[in-house]
Amino acid sequence: MFVARSIAADHRDLIHDVSFDFHGRRMATCSSDQSVKVWDKSENGDWHCTASWKTHSGSVWRVTWAHPEFGQVLASCSFDRTAVVWEEIVGESNDKLRGQSHWVKRTTLVDSRTSVTDVKFAPKHMGLMLATCSADGVVRIYEAPDVMNLSQWSLQHEISCKLSCSCISWNPSSSRAHSPMIAVGSDDNSPNILAKVQIYEYNENTRKYAKAETLMTVTDPVHDIAFAPNLGRSFHILAVATKDVRIFTLKPVRKELTTSGGLTKFEIQIVAQFDNHNSQVWRVSWNITGTVLASSGDDGCVRLWKANYMDNWKCTGILKGNGSPVSGSSQQGMFNASLGSANTSLQNSLNGSAAGRKQS
Amino acid sequence: MEKMARVTTALGGNTITGRTMFCHLDAPANAISVCRDAAQVVVAGRNIFKIYSIDEDQFVEKLNLRVGRKPSLNFSCADVVWHQMDENLLATAATNGVVVTWNLGKPSRNKQDQLFTEHKRTVNKVCFHPTEVYMLLSGSQDGYMKCFDLRKKDSVSTFSGQSESVRDVQFSIRDYFTFAATFENGNVQLWDIRRPDRYERMFTAHNGPVFCCDWHLEDRGWLATGGRDKMVKVWDMNTNRAKEIYCVQTIASVARVKWRPECKHHIATCSMMVDHNIYVWDVRRPFIPSAMFEEHKDVTTGIVWRHLHDPYFLLSGSKDSTLYQHIFKDASQPIDRANPEGLCYSLFGDLAFAAKESLISSDSNRKPYIGDRRHPIFFKRKLDPTEQFEYISSSSALSVFETDLESGSMDWFVRTAKQYVLAGRPLAELCDHNAKVAKELDRDQVAQTWTMLRIIYSSPGTVPSANLNHSLGKGSTSLPLMNSFNLKDIPPGIGNESRLERSKGESRSENILMDSSSTLINNDENEETEGSDVPADYLLGDVEGDEDELYMMDHENPHAEEQEYILPQEAFPLRHEIVDNPSALDHLQDKADSPHVSGNEAETVSLTPVESFSLISISHSLYENRLPPDFFSPIVRDMLLFYAEQGDVQMAVSVLIVLGDRIKKEIDEQTQEHWYTSYIDLLQRFQLWNISNEVIKLSTCRAINCLNQASTTLHINCSNCKRPMSNKGWICDRCRQCASMCAVCHHVVKGLFVWCQGCSHGGHLQHIMKWLETSSHCPAGCGHLCEYT
Repeated sequence: MFVARSIAADHRDLIHDVSFDFHGRRMATCSSDQSVKVWDKSENGDWHCTASWKTHSGSVWRVTWAHPEFGQVLASCSFDRTAVVWEEIVGESNDKLRGQSHWVKRTTLVDSRTSVTDVKFAPKHMGLMLATCSADGVVRIYEAPDVMNLSQWSLQHEISCKLSCSCISWNPSSSRAHSPMIAVGSDDNSPNILAKVQIYEYNENTRKYAKAETLMTVTDPVHDIAFAPNLGRSFHILAVATKDVRIFTLKPVRKELTTSGGLTKFEIQIVAQFDNHNSQVWRVSWNITGTVLASSGDDGCVRLWKANYMDNWKCTGILKGNGSPVSGSSQQGMFNASLGSANTSLQNSLNGSAAGRKQS
Repeated sequence: MEKMARVTTALGGNTITGRTMFCHLDAPANAISVCRDAAQVVVAGRNIFKIYSIDEDQFVEKLNLRVGRKPSLNFSCADVVWHQMDENLLATAATNGVVVTWNLGKPSRNKQDQLFTEHKRTVNKVCFHPTEVYMLLSGSQDGYMKCFDLRKKDSVSTFSGQSESVRDVQFSIRDYFTFAATFENGNVQLWDIRRPDRYERMFTAHNGPVFCCDWHLEDRGWLATGGRDKMVKVWDMNTNRAKEIYCVQTIASVARVKWRPECKHHIATCSMMVDHNIYVWDVRRPFIPSAMFEEHKDVTTGIVWRHLHDPYFLLSGSKDSTLYQHIFKDASQPIDRANPEGLCYSLFGDLAFAAKESLISSDSNRKPYIGDRRHPIFFKRKLDPTEQFEYISSSSALSVFETDLESGSMDWFVRTAKQYVLAGRPLAELCDHNAKVAKELDRDQVAQTWTMLRIIYSSPGTVPSANLNHSLGKGSTSLPLMNSFNLKDIPPGIGNESRLERSKGESRSENILMDSSSTLINNDENEETEGSDVPADYLLGDVEGDEDELYMMDHENPHAEEQEYILPQEAFPLRHEIVDNPSALDHLQDKADSPHVSGNEAETVSLTPVESFSLISISHSLYENRLPPDFFSPIVRDMLLFYAEQGDVQMAVSVLIVLGDRIKKEIDEQTQEHWYTSYIDLLQRFQLWNISNEVIKLSTCRAINCLNQASTTLHINCSNCKRPMSNKGWICDRCRQCASMCAVCHHVVKGLFVWCQGCSHGGHLQHIMKWLETSSHCPAGCGHLCEYT
């Protein structure tokens, strides 16, 4: 069961991204209205906007939290060709008394010549690093050598992907056996068929990122991409949002002695592919254990996907964005039909069989 | 560029056709202007002054107006304008302050007509009166505006802005006598052409220079201005005070603004630096450009709509020495690529979802458009089928889907982490305790695993409480939790699904799979009934003391179930047992010398079992000989790997810690370390600091152990004398008193000690917390306003 709690976001244009922090107690939203808002969860579960400020001079595409070890730090990226790192200021001020917190700009990354479409902090064990990607097809990796100084970032790597990039995802694995890896998706919509997902891996010997794999089967524009939290798995799971939802597993093949120091080879398998959204899929997001995938598409629904013990992925729930019943399905009986209220219960059958039975 | 559209527009007999095209100029352009017949365009720059005709497929150079041997500064144009009444009349503004008019009707090669050398510095802008043929206006860097009558040699009147340089001058389209001028100090002035002494009105429009302005083509009271502050503002000039009605924030300083013909709210802009693109905005949606032209490689200096009544053709000149014709169909639309949704899974299993309102308003109850709340309804929208840009649904709905405690949330993880005991008791007790914890949380598979571990690794003497196992086996009808797929629960679910899918016409193999899985269920159930009989027997047996026999039986069942848990790693459970068997075999053969391998047993093993029943018979015989726990290590290892692959790293790490050396060597160091770091990271996410610390302490990995020791230095002051303490114990060297006294209860603090960094006083965590509820002063009475973070 899910309960929909609607929040008056009060953004003046589309919201492009929502992001929870490390502990799940704060949330950041960004919008085309050039602002970012930070929401804090109160004791009773309500979300209160504790900060809202103008961040860019263009649409803000993405907002993301750094690991709290580095402080309360956000990064945002925008159509105005910049990515910006923000830090919350702790201290007594008038703002605090009003329940508002103050965020200051620590740095502006201006290397891109086109819209910066995604920004992501690297997994904590790699230090304070972040990656951006831009519409001109360049992935940039920055590092703050001194974690106490958020205003100094040096551009460490520039990876040219040849295709207009729309999204990136770090491989979150903390294992020493897995070298740093980043997956890049492209929303290039030119008619020529090209693989739209590329995976780059850091090579210790050359100290550079090199292309490890290309998902040849994904040829449609990719809107979002997400590695599942690794949690001790020996392989990686990658979700791709394109015209459908796809889930890939990447199993590292044992490095042969002959190719030592070279790139890891992967055995890539597509384990699931769903076109239930019947439209473009815009977002994919994993739960914390990497066992449930949520996807959202142009149909305005969030769908949840889960594998059973045989690694068969099934839909285990459909959530409608405004809390109203999913039209076209025969599940209405299960909804508490209270459309006007903010809290609407939604039926989410976790094992999927209930939903499936109804549809037949 | 392959799919360039060819557009034809009929404009009352005058047809415009064309496609996106460009031509190379010899030099960078500073300004362009179009002839009123929309067939010719003039390009002017520091080193160029040419007229091109706009053909269907290309620009053709018609005339080069730069004639004469020696280059004259008079030709160095900052601006050019083509008269909209007279096709032969052009005016240019030169960088040396000269205003030149050109008459194309002249028979000679030199078309220069008049020359006005009145401005002292660069003339930034020239503008013809929209209806009066002979009236020309200029604005210059020297701060003056001059009005010329082309029939006279000198200017008719001079307007002094009394402020800084003039950047733009534009005649009003509505008021015959009015013109607007913009200044570098951010001001905009309105003048009456008949009153050169004083401006009619002045207001500050921008922060910094106002580079350009443009009167709206239809709604004549609107003036758009663009400035270095990256803003485009639309002013309603009908009221007494200029009222800002729209504001568009662009990403770079705005060099030119031009209202789009026939589209009331659309305006084209280009920038002075950094940004080479041309944007067309809907001022009602000021954040995302409705169209974008990205062709230019350098700064765009001039933009002009090709025809006064055609919204689809835009001409532009640029510093990259090209002249472009842009077709609206070829424009890129940033909104198409913009993501209309945001989605994020939180730690606790909540989902935050933001989506464009139009997407989530379901079809059944879609309401008619009532009007954007932000804009009054009186802006009646002109219906233009080609105006694809939607500004209406430009807001998103944000909601958080919260999981309730019973089902999807991560509550089980937190409770398990808190309640598990990982060390400090005998193995059997640990396993039993943890099994109980798992059972309470309805995680039957995990509970059984713990029970089996206990049976495998603890000595037979403590077996009795094992019947927990069997009671569990029977009671497992509840739904499986998030990620504990219990084999016994799943097959019915699978059965349902595949039945469904069969009705949808799926392949037969699925059916077969289903059948096999249902036979599996039967097997399971058989085993289970067998198994659940055992404890009764066993209890009896306990009384009777027939220990040997019963020991064997009791182990048989767990072993079979153990296998059962390992199965899911493979797609075909039955097969797996077979595959798995040889490994057990190898293990056996390694120990072939050991006395407890009887010939009888070897025989059974050599018969490769085909069904799980025969496997049971093997294990049956194996147990007779009381294999050492080592024998199970590969299975336990596989089980741990299985849990890890399933995303339950908690189980993997907990078992690893509880079993300690018994299993440690089976799993390579790197994997262990990976599990530990993953689990610790998870615990820290849930802010379970104490448990994470405990795990770090208990871990046997060196790399993990030292996590605790890195970069933690404590500097302690004595709470009495406020001097730094030496590192020998808790007695202060100077004042000979025990430093770590609780300021509330005056006892020595052992365990969690919290203190104020300002005054060094502190005490038991609970005491201080309680104290601070009532008072913010230090409990020691030192008067300090304590601060705890």
